[in-house]
Amino acid sequence: MATETLLPFRKPEQGPRSEGISYQRLLDTDTRPVPEVLRWQSARELPPARVPIARYTSPEFHALEVEKLWKKVWQFACREEQIPEVGDHVVYKIADIEIVVVRATPTEIKAFRNTCLHRGRAIKDCDGRSQELRCPFHGWSWHLDGSLKSVPARWDFPHVKRSEYHLPEVRVGSWGGYVFVNLDPDGVSLETWLGDLPKHFTRWPHEHKYIEAWVGKLMQCNWKVCQEAFMEAYHVIQTHPQMLPGIGDCNSQYDAWDTFSRAMTPNMTVSPHLDWQPTEQDQLDAMFSRDIDSEPQVRVPEGMTARELVGQMTRMQLKASVPGVEDLTDAELNDSFYYTLFPNFHPWGAHNRITYRFRPNGNDPNSSLMEVFFISAFRGKRPAPAKFHLLGPDEDWTKAPELGFLAKVFNQDTGNLFRVQDGLRAAAHSHITLAGYQETKPRHFHALLEKFVNA
Amino acid sequence: MKLRHPISGAIYEGLPGGRCKVTEPDGRSGLFTDLGRWISGELREADLHFINWIAGPQLEARPAAAAPLGSSSPSGPSIPAFQARAAAASARKGKGMDLGLVGKKALVTAASRGIGLAIARQLADDGAHVAICARSEGGLESAQKDLEQRGVKVFARAVDVSDGAALKAFVAEAAGALGGLDIFVSNASAGGGMGEQAWQATFEVDVMSAARGVEAALPFLQKSESGSVVFISSTAALEYLGVAQPYNAMKAALIAHAGDLAQALAKHGIRVNTVSPGPIYFEGGNWETIKNAMPAIYQGALAQCAIGRMGTPEEVARAVVFLASPAASLITGANLVCDGGFTKGHHF
Repeated sequence: MATETLLPFRKPEQGPRSEGISYQRLLDTDTRPVPEVLRWQSARELPPARVPIARYTSPEFHALEVEKLWKKVWQFACREEQIPEVGDHVVYKIADIEIVVVRATPTEIKAFRNTCLHRGRAIKDCDGRSQELRCPFHGWSWHLDGSLKSVPARWDFPHVKRSEYHLPEVRVGSWGGYVFVNLDPDGVSLETWLGDLPKHFTRWPHEHKYIEAWVGKLMQCNWKVCQEAFMEAYHVIQTHPQMLPGIGDCNSQYDAWDTFSRAMTPNMTVSPHLDWQPTEQDQLDAMFSRDIDSEPQVRVPEGMTARELVGQMTRMQLKASVPGVEDLTDAELNDSFYYTLFPNFHPWGAHNRITYRFRPNGNDPNSSLMEVFFISAFRGKRPAPAKFHLLGPDEDWTKAPELGFLAKVFNQDTGNLFRVQDGLRAAAHSHITLAGYQETKPRHFHALLEKFVNA
Repeated sequence: MKLRHPISGAIYEGLPGGRCKVTEPDGRSGLFTDLGRWISGELREADLHFINWIAGPQLEARPAAAAPLGSSSPSGPSIPAFQARAAAASARKGKGMDLGLVGKKALVTAASRGIGLAIARQLADDGAHVAICARSEGGLESAQKDLEQRGVKVFARAVDVSDGAALKAFVAEAAGALGGLDIFVSNASAGGGMGEQAWQATFEVDVMSAARGVEAALPFLQKSESGSVVFISSTAALEYLGVAQPYNAMKAALIAHAGDLAQALAKHGIRVNTVSPGPIYFEGGNWETIKNAMPAIYQGALAQCAIGRMGTPEEVARAVVFLASPAASLITGANLVCDGGFTKGHHF
């Protein structure tokens, strides 16, 4: 295959690629002018593609992650819409650490360690609204700015000086409606950390969206095993084969910048794995999972491609909530752009509603919490954000009907993940092996993880 | 759901009870659980996640560890990956009415064609294993194959049901082969006709195969959690249809006997009901013959059908299967007329 002709922004890696049409060539066929953001690519020298298995299974490595990663890195704690009024607060937990994120003033969000400075009870047990932060044990309270407010029987604590009993503060930053916290009092600002990521989202600003759904499930695997399953399209051939007639899985494009990476997987294109040529109707039918015995739910009109049709249909769906929908490319309306901001935050681009977050389950390296948010556009009055829906241990993803057809896709992934953890724990060998191109995102993640744990 | 695998071209078909039938392009087929475990058939391996897509939902086989973000408890004990999941059945309950037939064992007489075959097919589609009999081998073989495709156990024998001993042996053999019996459907009939021979034949087949069949099935039905019997009678028992044939009186006897049995067997937890079909039209059936040979009579019957058409075997089958199923747990001693408004009386 000839070398790509790309915008002279950066040189691409020259490694082997799939035979299928490249994402950039696909963009050339779009019915709308293609915005710059979709043309940006990265050139990144990524280290060798083997990662120690111990990272996924060892309690010692988890402890190292807590000290070197979770206590040092910017992480997504909540969305601004969840704390709109002064006094609104959210409790964010990572490993054993608890942080209360509170709207202290109409324009300022603050975050504190959620531990009473008297005898250590956690101050806030759950999300809520209050005009102070009061401990339910003896009633010590703090103002929303973290300064000590009142101590019952104050006379008994002459040794407690107000200036010394400010709630320990945690740095807060905001982007796209997402509130991030960082336990490291030093270190770079959120702005520096995000780098060019906000530029990628200027066409699809998440601050103008709302939490339409929020579903979580405890997964029987390490948080990194879990999220890495959602960082490549390579697994589609074996885990989501029903998609193959309508997805460019192994010819997806992967880019890694400083602290974030992006995958672009085209839909309404044919998988290069197939040795037969699906028609446009076949591609659309794959998206709807059309039963052999049924008539197609939607027919592709003569002379139109499935890609154009889905573009049109999605434009119509989004018209009510997204301004400027006519200018959105077929690419933005068909394809999956999954970004990862290190370490565990995955906002999808264009108007795909998905945002993922993954966290270790307490201190157990063998289980994790996977959360799926639907971050959706709206017009007019801001709808209330959805409440957290935690699926039970015996509930599969279809018990969250708000996820639509995605639930069945997650069931397929889940069917692998607990067995990945089993397999890793049972392994005689010491490293996993990652692909040269299609597993760029996990490789990029581990390169950054290594920097943090070795710091 | 039924889909073709995009790479292998095999057909994957979801079946009741969270199972999936897979048929490769070369014809080999197999039956699998929704976890992709092989149950039966020549084909031993299939695509786990494609099965999940079609026959799922699928749960993780290992119980979850502690509640999220709450504790530092270690992960669960290492148990084999595919242990049975108690919660699976309740998690999988759909919102529609569940007939409760999955895994039940049913016996249907005269089931190689027509209404009998339709009943056996519906039972199989709803997940019940079936035993069938008919007078001759010919139709039975293709019926057996047809039913096996539906992913259930099938036991088939050529039996003359007017031979009491043969019928009793068949019932016992069938119960042995299926591992019990929950449902008995008496569908055998000698048909119409006049004179001594017709009286004898309809008595021996329609009435006695039903009575003897229940007796033979009784010990097995008593052991069932949901024992149930259905006799197939006819609207001919309810109204004069133009000829005073023995069939009509014998079919009426079935309704009376079923009503008695409903009371007598209630203490054993066995329900007994009757279904009385009106004119049922199917290829190779009586009404097709009548339509060709005596068109005026056919037209006359058709004109009497309030819904403007005769019934199909499948429609009768659905009524029979409902009454036979655990879903009809409160219905016993009933005669369900299934005739598209052919009879005009109010059925009290």
